[in-house]
Amino acid sequence: MMRRKKALLLVGSPKSSGSTSEALGGYLLNRLIEMGFSGTKSILRRAVRDRKRIDCMLASVNNAEVIILACPTYVDSLPAPVLRALEEIVAFRRTHEGHGQPRFLAVANCGFPESLHNMVSLACCRRFAGEAGMIWAGGLSLGGGEALNGASLQNRKGLARNVIRALDLTATALERNESVPEGAEKLMARPLVPRWLYLWIGTRGWKAQARRFGTAGRLGERPWRDRSGETT
Amino acid sequence: MKTIILNGSKPGDDFSEKVLGILCSVLQANRWESTRFDLAGMKIAPCRGCFGCWVQKPGVCVFEDDGQKLAPAVIASDLTVFFAPVTFGGYSADLKKGLDRLIGLISPFFMTIAGEIHHRPRYDKYPALMGVGVQEKPDRDSGEIFSTLVQRNALNFHSPGHAALLIPVGQDEKSICEKFAAVLNDLEGKK
Repeated sequence: MMRRKKALLLVGSPKSSGSTSEALGGYLLNRLIEMGFSGTKSILRRAVRDRKRIDCMLASVNNAEVIILACPTYVDSLPAPVLRALEEIVAFRRTHEGHGQPRFLAVANCGFPESLHNMVSLACCRRFAGEAGMIWAGGLSLGGGEALNGASLQNRKGLARNVIRALDLTATALERNESVPEGAEKLMARPLVPRWLYLWIGTRGWKAQARRFGTAGRLGERPWRDRSGETT
Repeated sequence: MKTIILNGSKPGDDFSEKVLGILCSVLQANRWESTRFDLAGMKIAPCRGCFGCWVQKPGVCVFEDDGQKLAPAVIASDLTVFFAPVTFGGYSADLKKGLDRLIGLISPFFMTIAGEIHHRPRYDKYPALMGVGVQEKPDRDSGEIFSTLVQRNALNFHSPGHAALLIPVGQDEKSICEKFAAVLNDLEGKK
């Protein structure tokens, strides 16, 4: 019987549920499982809470042959819990011998319509792979991730068609021990919806949420004393 | 002039401590007040991306912990320093946990800057940004990532000026001092 290759999904969204990162990474992991991989998932915001969970996450990393990090971009780079996890992985691999050389790839998404806002996140992932002694298999960058709103990609078929094609191409490449194909990078970087529509929906969304919290008309408040000295 | 230093280095990192000491001396010599936040020892929960600071309590993070001290200090400063060991080209997790909690300083609404979408400012004025990255050894690739990150942060936080400084571990005091003095001089001119 052929040994099944092991894939690990690291979900980097700090959200408690329904994240776009988990939807993207979950789709890719499921495609790999369909191709014969075994698959496991680690939610990083939980994994970095205490030593026991960190050790558990490190063991999963040590067993994996393909590692997928799916995460959002926060303030131009990786969210703090993701950085904490990556720091722990590098520290462990620098001080322990006998670990393999898995392929590591990242799928980053951001709330701005342009995918270029993920560039630092993906550059940091590439550096991480090198420092952890892993093979950098490339990165996929999605702009306007909020449009998917954490829904499974199958339920967003029309909207997510390029995303699905990009992840399908990536799964095929990983199965062949190849890196993320350029075609997949380009498909993932395509806008999900026209920019004007994304901004229009986004603006309406903020106002709708404000009405729910009773803060309509107050979203521009300045709670801290302004640097000009005026209290606003 | 007020400076806020968000320190993302680990306790016991002697070289970072030395660099911070030099920075504070240079600031003092230029008559800049400085306040330092050592983030590793502060109780700061990671941002959960709930956008409560935009829609629930506009401008204020909904988590009531040490992280709430950062936004008012940063917006009241003339210069904010992001200080950390260069980590995968970017900031350390300890610095980032503080930074992720600052998004209430900007508005949820959008604007276009140089053809890119960004969030609108919430306040009339923002501090200049200085990113200081301590590198284990000089490394061009990680230095470029770090500089890009500081530049992107400055763009998103509507900073009037920014600078990225890379300090290799072991660099002599005189060179570090000169670097800080040159950057402060430059940023002061852009205020």
